[in-house]
Amino acid sequence: MLRDGRLLVLAFSVFAVLIGFFLASVAEHRQMQQEKQAVGATAKEQWDTQGVKNPHAAAHFGIYVFKPDSPLASIDSGLRQYTGQALWLEPHKRNGARFSPAADQGLASRFGQASAGFVLYALLPLLVIALAFNAVTQEREQGTLRMLHSLGVSGTKLLLGKFTGLLLAFVVVLLPAMAVALIILYQNFDLAGDDILRLFALSGAFFVYYAVFAALAMSTSIHFKSSRLALFTLLAFWLGSVLIAPRLGSVAAEMMVPTPNATAFWSGIKQDIQQGLDNDGDHEAREALFKAQVLKQYGVARIEDLPVGYTALKRSFNDGYSERVHALHFDRLRDAFERQGRFVHIASLLGPSIAMRSVSMTLSGMDLAHQRHFEDAAENYRHYFIGLTDDWDRERSHGTERGAQGHDADWGSVKAFSYAPPSAGFALNYVLVDLLVLLAWLAAALMWLLFSARRLKP
Amino acid sequence: MSPNKTLLEARQLVVNYKNHRAIDTLDLSVPAGCVYALLGGNGAGKTSTINTFLGFNRPTDGNVFIDGESPDQNPTMVRAKVAYLPENVALYEYMSGLENLRFFCTLANIRLSRQHAHDLLVNTGLQTDAHERRVSTYSKGMRQKVGLAIASAKQAKVMLLDEPTSGLDPSAANDFAQRIRAAADLGMAVLMATHDLFNAKQVADRIGIMKAGRLVEEFDAHTVAHDELEHKYLAHARGLL
Repeated sequence: MLRDGRLLVLAFSVFAVLIGFFLASVAEHRQMQQEKQAVGATAKEQWDTQGVKNPHAAAHFGIYVFKPDSPLASIDSGLRQYTGQALWLEPHKRNGARFSPAADQGLASRFGQASAGFVLYALLPLLVIALAFNAVTQEREQGTLRMLHSLGVSGTKLLLGKFTGLLLAFVVVLLPAMAVALIILYQNFDLAGDDILRLFALSGAFFVYYAVFAALAMSTSIHFKSSRLALFTLLAFWLGSVLIAPRLGSVAAEMMVPTPNATAFWSGIKQDIQQGLDNDGDHEAREALFKAQVLKQYGVARIEDLPVGYTALKRSFNDGYSERVHALHFDRLRDAFERQGRFVHIASLLGPSIAMRSVSMTLSGMDLAHQRHFEDAAENYRHYFIGLTDDWDRERSHGTERGAQGHDADWGSVKAFSYAPPSAGFALNYVLVDLLVLLAWLAAALMWLLFSARRLKP
Repeated sequence: MSPNKTLLEARQLVVNYKNHRAIDTLDLSVPAGCVYALLGGNGAGKTSTINTFLGFNRPTDGNVFIDGESPDQNPTMVRAKVAYLPENVALYEYMSGLENLRFFCTLANIRLSRQHAHDLLVNTGLQTDAHERRVSTYSKGMRQKVGLAIASAKQAKVMLLDEPTSGLDPSAANDFAQRIRAAADLGMAVLMATHDLFNAKQVADRIGIMKAGRLVEEFDAHTVAHDELEHKYLAHARGLL
């Protein structure tokens, strides 16, 4: 491969393509990170300097929080294009993330999101195929296979030698690009130990992924008499694995596990809040019961006689119920997404790319599981600061009077949202099935390679 | 090596390709030190016979043996004793003759120093200045010489040649014949499939004519006259016998 120039051409191409896309990803990531920090700081400053106003009115001013992306998002931006970048936290309602980059882009861009991740999981298998599709057919076509057979070289020894050589060549091709990518990452971001661990796991998974393609390409090359037929067959497999399987899987998943559209989702929440869950009674009945309990608790006959603000008390009660309904619907929706994800895995029978894509997105922290982790943390933060404003509102008013006021000192005392992303262990645990699918593909591909090697004929 | 020991043997060999009988009850033996030339037209079964000795074809019936062992039962061990030279010796184009020799030998578990490899190529008559050149610049005869060097390095007991002089100029064919004869004189058993009557008469000890998978005539090459051999060969090829 080195002598016929293929390796050098491929090494140069891989380096140029990978580093080109990677630099673009890093630049985009840095810009997004800076924008998030700038907008976050401005939003917090605006929150802190609201002046004198009712605490609940201040809560309605709301707080924006942003998901801090892992440095590995430069390798695989995952669902970033489609999941929102910011969460608007406000009273009474749990919002979904908003401002997804895809929403700002034209339709054409949705047909091809070229990124470093796309190069790694979609294009590099093509290079493996380019290196291996004629590994045996070329020997057969040139007659060297007969020479090798006549020398007593066993098919197994020959094929395992070629397989190992191919993987080594591929690693040699990738190493310069990986080294430069690592330096760029190190210079642009603060890499934590957890990031390094994720990076190692991701590299290992990609190695297994490429080994699957290498073994399959070798085996295919054994079974076909012409290089062209072997190449067409392998391209068809690549197409099925990388492009068709994910779409087929998605269609099957949507059919098996339907999810509500946005209108149905929000109206379901509104309806459950109004009508109540199970035997809770409707909104009016729940409020009447609550009022009776409060009057009894404080030993008064009228809400006007309460020592605390009843409006704030009632709001907290209603918000508590609303949070319960929101949690129920959000969990149900996200569970449905996860069940859909499992159905998509069935399409892994067509190729290992779905599993690899999932591993890549998750280890880069850009999948639904990490999004869910962030949204849960943001929801906890919403409870925290809305709870604070409700406390101030309740304690600084009484009865039906609504004169409670807060000041900049109060707003400034609200801690900034601080998000700790989950550990590498969380990610690895989440993609355990995908890793097992990749290993199963590798085992099957190697077994086929060994089986084919025994049947190798000149 | 005993000069009389049979190293190549086919017993009642039958090979079918789907519905076509390529070899039909062939009995053949080649002792050590003997060059056996198989003559016959296209499709007579010469190459199929060689392929069966190499273990590339499985006998439908009967047996083949190389030094007493069946290539079908133990192909790797049998092939270690065999040197094979096809009509076009296939080598890796991006390597030199020397590198090809060492590469093939490495794969066959033969350790060959650079100097030893040079010596082997010199012994086959390959010009020294060609040793380090890429084989893509080699003539057919030069490739044959690299193939012969591989055979020498293997210290094979048996050599199987498939149309080895086809396409060689008379001088190169003569040179090649002498080297084959020399190898046989050292105790090697040589089975050579060829169309070249002159070459067969020049180098062989025994000559067989194949037709439709059967061995139809056998001659002592030292006693048969060239005219008689040519007459019989053409008669069989034209279906007159």
